[in-house]
Amino acid sequence: MKRIAHTNIRKKRADRTGYWFVLPYVLFFLMFVAYPLGFSFILIFHRWNIVTPMEWIGLKNFARLVVDPLFFKAITNTFTFLLIHIPLQIVVALGFALALNSNIRFRSFFRAIYFLPVVVSGVVVTILWQQLYAYDAGFLNRLLTAVGLSKVPWIISPEMAMPSIAIMATWKNVGIYIVLFLVGLQNIPRELYESASLDGATTTRKFFHITLPMLNPTIVVVLVLSTIGGFSLFIEPYVLTGGGPMQSTLSAMLYIYNQAFYFNHMGYAAALGFVFAFVILIVVLLQRKSVETEPTL
Amino acid sequence: MGLNHMHLTRFFFLYAICLCIVLAGCGDSKQSPSPESPSVVTLTYWPAPNPQEIQLADTLVQRWNRLHPEIQVRMQPIPVSQSTEEVLLAAIAGKTTPDICSNIWPGALHEYTRSGGLVPLDQFEDFASFVGNRTPQELLKTFQSTDGHFYQIPWKTNPVMMFYNIRMFEEAGVREVPKTYSEFFAAAQKLTRDLDGDGQVDVWAGERDIRPIWWQRLFDFYPFYIAASGGKTLFDLGNPAFGNDASRRVMGFFQECYSRGYFPRTFFQGGDPFLLERKATHFSGPWQVAALQKLAPHIRYGVAPLLVPDDHQGPVYTYGDYKNVAVFSTTQHPRESWEFVKFLLTAEHDLLLLEITNQIPVRGDLLTNPLFAGYFQRNPVMKRFAQQALATRGVDAAPDLKEILDGISQEYEACAVYGRKSPAVAIADALRRTQLIVEWNR
Amino acid sequence: MKAILKYFFLAVGATIFAYPFLWMIAASLKPEAEIGGLGLWSSSFSLSSYGTVLTKIPIGRAFLNSVIVSLSTTTSVVFFGSLVGYALARLNFKGKQALFVLILFTMMIPFQITLIPQYIMIVKLHLTDTYPSLIVPTMMSAFSIILFREFFKGLPQAFIDAARIDGCNELKILFRVVWPLSRPTVITVAILTFMTSWNEVLWPLIVVRERSLMTMPQLVTIFTIGGEAESLLGLQLAAATLLALPVIIAYAFFQRYFVESLTSTGLKG
Repeated sequence: MKRIAHTNIRKKRADRTGYWFVLPYVLFFLMFVAYPLGFSFILIFHRWNIVTPMEWIGLKNFARLVVDPLFFKAITNTFTFLLIHIPLQIVVALGFALALNSNIRFRSFFRAIYFLPVVVSGVVVTILWQQLYAYDAGFLNRLLTAVGLSKVPWIISPEMAMPSIAIMATWKNVGIYIVLFLVGLQNIPRELYESASLDGATTTRKFFHITLPMLNPTIVVVLVLSTIGGFSLFIEPYVLTGGGPMQSTLSAMLYIYNQAFYFNHMGYAAALGFVFAFVILIVVLLQRKSVETEPTL
Repeated sequence: MGLNHMHLTRFFFLYAICLCIVLAGCGDSKQSPSPESPSVVTLTYWPAPNPQEIQLADTLVQRWNRLHPEIQVRMQPIPVSQSTEEVLLAAIAGKTTPDICSNIWPGALHEYTRSGGLVPLDQFEDFASFVGNRTPQELLKTFQSTDGHFYQIPWKTNPVMMFYNIRMFEEAGVREVPKTYSEFFAAAQKLTRDLDGDGQVDVWAGERDIRPIWWQRLFDFYPFYIAASGGKTLFDLGNPAFGNDASRRVMGFFQECYSRGYFPRTFFQGGDPFLLERKATHFSGPWQVAALQKLAPHIRYGVAPLLVPDDHQGPVYTYGDYKNVAVFSTTQHPRESWEFVKFLLTAEHDLLLLEITNQIPVRGDLLTNPLFAGYFQRNPVMKRFAQQALATRGVDAAPDLKEILDGISQEYEACAVYGRKSPAVAIADALRRTQLIVEWNR
Repeated sequence: MKAILKYFFLAVGATIFAYPFLWMIAASLKPEAEIGGLGLWSSSFSLSSYGTVLTKIPIGRAFLNSVIVSLSTTTSVVFFGSLVGYALARLNFKGKQALFVLILFTMMIPFQITLIPQYIMIVKLHLTDTYPSLIVPTMMSAFSIILFREFFKGLPQAFIDAARIDGCNELKILFRVVWPLSRPTVITVAILTFMTSWNEVLWPLIVVRERSLMTMPQLVTIFTIGGEAESLLGLQLAAATLLALPVIIAYAFFQRYFVESLTSTGLKG
């Protein structure tokens, strides 16, 4: 009896402690999540440069947005980026993960090297690649001319600039996905391969019928994270190209940044943020719908 | 029970401490005002951050402080990391504006006054007589705000003209300074050369920063448009009005400069190519004179009006990069600030402005007042700028002028630099974007 | 034969990922004229680019700023993350489930939406150009709360009960009993937060304009794209190397933790 009463008191105390424990987060949430969310919803109906009073302009921000060529440019640029970045990332990460997923010496050494660009700041990577991509005296073009090929206008041609950024971003991020694929590969039960071998399946067949379907969850992760990453792309074009040449590397985030902090259009930038977030949601949902499968065992 | 409460209090205390530690950084950035005797008024004055203007400001402030022990002025150059407009808007937002600033670009004035950041200067009873004596009335009128007040006084202007390297002209066999587009192309054909015979061009007829930075257009497209259109600006009665032949011809001119190879299509690294004698012409204002004297005194150069279409008639106008003086509404001492403004603008100090910075004060009597005669005798190049100063236009006080010029920059890049659009399409697109911005601002 | 091919493939990969960094460090030590070279060696290595960078920008101060900001953020995220995670996993109170769902929801809000209002809030609070503007908005993270909650849920109830019977209060239980059992999660959250904070550059670019308060990546960015580096490659690469070194050194020591922590971000998807 006494014991039950004791636990009851405990429970009651625990109750109140629970509130104390989550209080800081609730305050933080109200201030840095709820308030900004609510405020940005108000902001999208205003024209405001922070300095002068806010002006209610109704749906004018959206009226501008639907005819703003730069908005559409930012969207198509992001898709160009994703179209190169995602397949490249999956193929490269899968290739290295497969090579590492066998009895290999120095495995952790290789893994550590592949992971190195992930930990280094995007600023460093971008400054470094700026030199690698330089047209006249850049490392890559010197390498190409040294083996008798012609120079590539990596970041100075409107057609090549975004693909070049996609290649650089792949180089920077692929380490994470190598490790993720490696984890995924190691979780595939050996018996699946063994029974397939008994049925006389070739290596290729095993790859397409066992490995790839079993890695489906990891592929979905790569898709989703890369998509979010593509829409958050900022420092790479900001440092490397400034969005040019001819707006070919203007990313969604860079356009929001320019509108907000270069032209002081807080309301319009907030509207852009909303619409881009909506686009991300749609794209991710579509990806999940088309790629995600129930694991077949 | 009580024990538990105490623990909770202690815990709350703990994260209060954490918060304090985190917030402590706050105090670092704010300086407490230094103790001064209450009778002394301190004013803060922000000049432009370039060395010559800092030197001028320093000299003027020292003079002032000697003469006015009871009104001390503290000079702080505007931080270089961003544009003056960004710094000033941020300062207005944070109510950290100085008392006086002499680097006000009229294109951004609209934003400052809309936020109530500036003091109307015509509230001072001697405004009309003082400023009227310095600046011609019709010119002054262009700086009046739409509410009828004057928030700025035109201090100096920098007409954009064409500098040319005399030695390079001579060596290439160009005898006459080109005045029109075709004359320039004829000269450029000779000026753009491969000096060491390695198949690569080493010197160009001209060069512009190929990056689409909005203010770069104030040194190519915009002044050329003012010249070609006989003194028009981008707007007419608040409406975009540059969809005309003049703008298309200017776009076409620059497109040809690049497509014929007279201008390099790469971003020039390693310093100003005019100072390095890698380009024969350069479109710039009088501040370039000081840079030439200091950094490349060996270069022989001349200054000429901008190039115009072949059938151009009448005077050649250009863009004058006006920088004006204003007093901010955060000031505790408007009257003292006004006194300092008048001190900046006396004839004697306008001479100092000429001498130290080689920029043109906006004075009606510049070429007639004997005070300046000696200077212009010693600096015949500056006399050319002073003569041009009468035929200059500023920028329209349109909202979002920066974004409009950014839009024009994008088209300049696509049409002129990369040749991916015809001038007609580029101008039409720029006009559409401008219209979009104007509509949005209505 | 197949094994040799495999090692060859892995070695080519290692070269692709590591050589650019080696090249960068070597180039930052070379005179300007030799930087374009493909090799690493130069007969005239010198530290002069570093000397120039140190005199041109307050990079030491920026390093200190980055350390202050990243350490404060990390400490706070670990502290509050475990606090809230513990409450969600181990305590009972009304609205617990709702709060958990709310936290999951916040993880799905793209920062494109909240960035502008957060900046405006910092301006209105007069916090621009202060340390708090860099620290406070990232003081807590939904992801760390979820990580802690998941881990704490898996701990045996017996440990906690024993401590409660000994008369420990919940705070003591969290820090004396639960924490020592949760080292991997604490390390994961700490590394993840520290890395993110150290490498963050967009937010500092927005809220800090004063050079003496700039973080290291921010200062290096501004140095590179502003005119100050005077288009000299040696200076830009030296600044980039200085920015990369602390992380590379930390990575060399705690490589395994880095890999595990950062890949855990992928698992949330």
